[in-house]
Amino acid sequence: MKPTERFKRRYISFSLSLAGKPPAYGEAKEMVHVHFLSFFGESGISSLAFKLVKYDAQSGRGVIRCERSRADEAIFCMACLCDWKGAGARLAPLSTSGTIKRL
Amino acid sequence: MDIVRFEPNGREGAGGALPVSSLPNFFESADAKSAKQHCRKKSALLHASGYEIDEGDLIELARAGGAVVFAFSDVLAERGFRRSILISKMRLLISACRKRGTSFVFVTLAKDEALMRGARELSAFAAVLGATDVERKDAEKRLLSITGGSAKAGKPAGPGKMLPAGGQLVGAPASALLALPRKPGNPPPSAEMVGK
Repeated sequence: MKPTERFKRRYISFSLSLAGKPPAYGEAKEMVHVHFLSFFGESGISSLAFKLVKYDAQSGRGVIRCERSRADEAIFCMACLCDWKGAGARLAPLSTSGTIKRL
Repeated sequence: MDIVRFEPNGREGAGGALPVSSLPNFFESADAKSAKQHCRKKSALLHASGYEIDEGDLIELARAGGAVVFAFSDVLAERGFRRSILISKMRLLISACRKRGTSFVFVTLAKDEALMRGARELSAFAAVLGATDVERKDAEKRLLSITGGSAKAGKPAGPGKMLPAGGQLVGAPASALLALPRKPGNPPPSAEMVGK
């Protein structure tokens, strides 16, 4: 497939905290995936081209990928996370870029 | 800038947090019927928690120079289908406001610091509800005028006192929003999104 025919991507860096601390990789991955899936649904996730690109459990920082025209929706979805399994959670977007390197 | 329900603790932030208690022109109503009585008040900031306001009342509100408040904390308070219904109501109200020429503002109305959101997140909230880039760029000037300040005169926003926001969650795109040109003597731009 030509590069012009692919999804135009945006990378959004975020800071994740669960009860004031950064969660472990497995829990963070589950948290992000379940939250995005409940927000967008299966069809929405497929058109969003969503992917958790990386996550550092020590700093609580990570990067997600989404489709360019729907970056606002992805950020809104991240902002909507306020609790996870009874504990306070926060998924705060930090910056947006077209490349991972520039985040 | 943001309007919140608690007294901010004065921590340095990117914008300002204005407590609702310091705004005499802020009104809340649960339904369309109770919203009616506040629409004629000058420069009223009307928060209808059910997001149902009659079109006639929107015209009255536009004439009085007021604005409809869209609160992010209302979205956070709901879950699942109820949240989607609320967002749908907000979208309908925004399109009604646009049709009737009524201003609208996007704030958090956070009850505590955990519910505070950054400028980029409020911008995304506005975009999801259907506000255009132009409406979002109209931002700080409109909010300053509604909360009592004047961008032209360079007065600080009042009648409520301006306090620094608690959040430090403003990323690069938000700084772009803040980096609007301004003349010397004018107040610093706020990151609040206000549309008309």
